[in-house]
Amino acid sequence: MFMRNLIAFLRRFQVFLIFMLLQIFALSTYFTFLNFPRSQYMTSASYVSGKMLNARNEVTKYVNLVKTSNILQKQNKYLREKLPMSYIRMENGWVKINDTLFHQQYEYIPGKVINSTVTRANNFFTLNIGWAQGVKRGMGVFSDKGVVGIIHISSEHFSVVKSVLTEDINIDVQIEPIGLFGLLKWDGRDPRRGQISGISNDLNIKRWSKVVTRSGSGIFPYGIPVGKVEKLKTVEGKPIWDVIIRYSEDFRTLQRVYVVRNLLLEEQQKLESLIPEDEENE
Amino acid sequence: MNDIIKHSVRFLLLTIIQSFVLNQLEIGLGIQLLIYPLFVFLLPFELGVIPMLVLSFTMGIIIDSISNTYGLHASSLTLFAYLRPVIFKTFSPREGYDVLKEPNIFEMGNRWFIYTFGILLFIHHFWFFLLEMFRIDAIFFILQKTLLSFPISFAFCILIQMLIVNKPKSR
Repeated sequence: MFMRNLIAFLRRFQVFLIFMLLQIFALSTYFTFLNFPRSQYMTSASYVSGKMLNARNEVTKYVNLVKTSNILQKQNKYLREKLPMSYIRMENGWVKINDTLFHQQYEYIPGKVINSTVTRANNFFTLNIGWAQGVKRGMGVFSDKGVVGIIHISSEHFSVVKSVLTEDINIDVQIEPIGLFGLLKWDGRDPRRGQISGISNDLNIKRWSKVVTRSGSGIFPYGIPVGKVEKLKTVEGKPIWDVIIRYSEDFRTLQRVYVVRNLLLEEQQKLESLIPEDEENE
Repeated sequence: MNDIIKHSVRFLLLTIIQSFVLNQLEIGLGIQLLIYPLFVFLLPFELGVIPMLVLSFTMGIIIDSISNTYGLHASSLTLFAYLRPVIFKTFSPREGYDVLKEPNIFEMGNRWFIYTFGILLFIHHFWFFLLEMFRIDAIFFILQKTLLSFPISFAFCILIQMLIVNKPKSR
């Protein structure tokens, strides 16, 4: 009797049940993916989507070609000026070369953005490099002009970047001349502006002071530009400011990026794991 | 057979236009064009709700996987497909629907199309932007996005019908 009732119930509401099932599946992937990417297959890092986006990019990359090559040329000029041949020797004599003085800490993997959005509440970019080139989840991504984001998930030849145009991006940044640091946020509206919240309002922050990355968590090297302070917004009833910053990178025309590989990250994490957990909980 | 090919072509065409062109556009003011619900709307009258739900879910997931939205398009398109029979019932002509006809603007008339498709597309847009922001303090921004995007998407859908739907021969 019970079974018959159950079957009758299921038949009666089968459309609604299937609808709910599909909704639950779609919504659960949507809300969990932001923080816990489970597989690469439903993203643009998958093989088929990656190939198609690559093909599309072959066509559209020419739109920004002039601008991109201008920026590259400027960068080249800057680097060329740093070469030994651009310097004149001021003093004759022996020069002591000590190779152990400097250790390489960061390596950069060049890549290309083949897909990007800037209008969503959470924006992800697709790169044409993946773990075959050494890209792993959690690495930082930046361009010639500024910070871009953090690698969210990667497949063999493609990877998806959680950009700074994502709500909980939380990159360590610092406001330059005073060295004050905070976490970078985005409010989901303007692709040109981000914010740093919870800055105590007794600090004197000047407009247009530079905001750069702080190598705190070992994701980015120190000093990659993020943007400039545009406005200080007071928060009602609290002695704090929301600092609105204007990004130095225009994400709408972003093409060439570099992925940061920190060679000493393991050492840093090993050391930091020795810090005892919060003792009050014991 | 002919019908299956016709609808498959529409499926591919709208998916490609939506994910490779419209999802990449930045118009400003939070406007985003969403035209893929047109495929579900143009499916035949006699098609059952369950195949329709499955089709719309598939289409949504494909668009999601290309534009990195992980279920956002799928959720709103399944809602669209689920509500379609309800709205069709409300606006059905007195003698019921002619199964030989297709629910497009030319065969069913302007008035009918504007009411049914307008209501469905508005719900779809609102659900889409609501899920996208999902914050109560952004409710005005959600409304702004919905109210600005909806008329443009609607106009676009009418234009696209002129391209992909065969006009019935004048009687």
